[in-house]
Amino acid sequence: MSKSLLIISRQAPWSGPGAREALDIALAGGAFDLPIGMLFLDDGVFQLSGAQQPASLQQKDLGANLQALPMFGVEALYVAQRSLEERGLQDHPETLAVERLDDAGLSALIDRYDQVITL
Amino acid sequence: MKFAIALFSPPHAPSSRRALRFAQAVLAGGHEIVRLFFYQDGVHSASSNVVCAQDEVDLPREWREFVQTQQLDSVVCIAAALRRGVLNDGEAQRYSRTAANLDAPWELSGLGQLHEAAQLADRLVCFGGP
Amino acid sequence: MATLHVLSHSPFTDSRLSSCLRLLGSQDALLVCGDAVYALQAGSAQLQALELMPEAIALYALDEDVQARGLELPARLTLVDYPAFVALSCQYSKVNTWL
Repeated sequence: MSKSLLIISRQAPWSGPGAREALDIALAGGAFDLPIGMLFLDDGVFQLSGAQQPASLQQKDLGANLQALPMFGVEALYVAQRSLEERGLQDHPETLAVERLDDAGLSALIDRYDQVITL
Repeated sequence: MKFAIALFSPPHAPSSRRALRFAQAVLAGGHEIVRLFFYQDGVHSASSNVVCAQDEVDLPREWREFVQTQQLDSVVCIAAALRRGVLNDGEAQRYSRTAANLDAPWELSGLGQLHEAAQLADRLVCFGGP
Repeated sequence: MATLHVLSHSPFTDSRLSSCLRLLGSQDALLVCGDAVYALQAGSAQLQALELMPEAIALYALDEDVQARGLELPARLTLVDYPAFVALSCQYSKVNTWL
């Protein structure tokens, strides 16, 4: 049985390649049919905001690649409730089907996975 | 135990040296390293072009010697390397770049190698940041 | 399935320590290395936060980083060297480094 891997993505979308490179790990894992989960925490929650226009920065649309997660079999997607609230995003719907977790839920989530990468 | 060690930081970051010292302790403790995988700025830790002052630790050289002496499987992520200008001869030719700065023992490959290592290992330990 | 969390960023300029403390499991452990050992600074709110952690949560600091910075080791933490760091990574089910 395959080991499960949780990727915790903490970087804002347009602050360098961090957000994209975290997503790439998730997509690669999905492509190999591995059990992958992804959690958006701290500034990582900004990746899920709507109405972003990355073309203004001559950046590729990260949001489009995020939408590919379920297509690659990565459907265990989570977002930290506290991180949303700290950033005033709790009333904004996310652009991706994610489950909101409180601190206890985050703790339990990490516990369920065999391995974790937090970047 | 089997370890997969992933490095995310360049050679001037303390975490790159910390990763090497950890890897050395893994082997000294009788454990096995299934793969070293260099991702994000970790690709720079494999560069053959870093020049260190004579009275400073030459970390790229130490990594290289460690990998060669211990005959470890050592992979640099190709996508992360290309976007950071770390190229072996093949990629330098492919993209018509003037110089290559990645030599043996480093292999350029994809994230599948990180996932395979994580599956093979009992422990995946990552190093990065300061 | 207890996790060893590893931090290396200074807790004064960065939110990793506070985020980590909020989602620690009851049997998890924390190892500070690099600039994260500044959390051992006497009189700091960060040290206070560590000292308020339940006893079941083991706290470790990497010896070379504590020594390099001339910090005193609070009673609540255990100093580890690299062999002990490796042993901890075997003892805990997984290692979560906050990159």
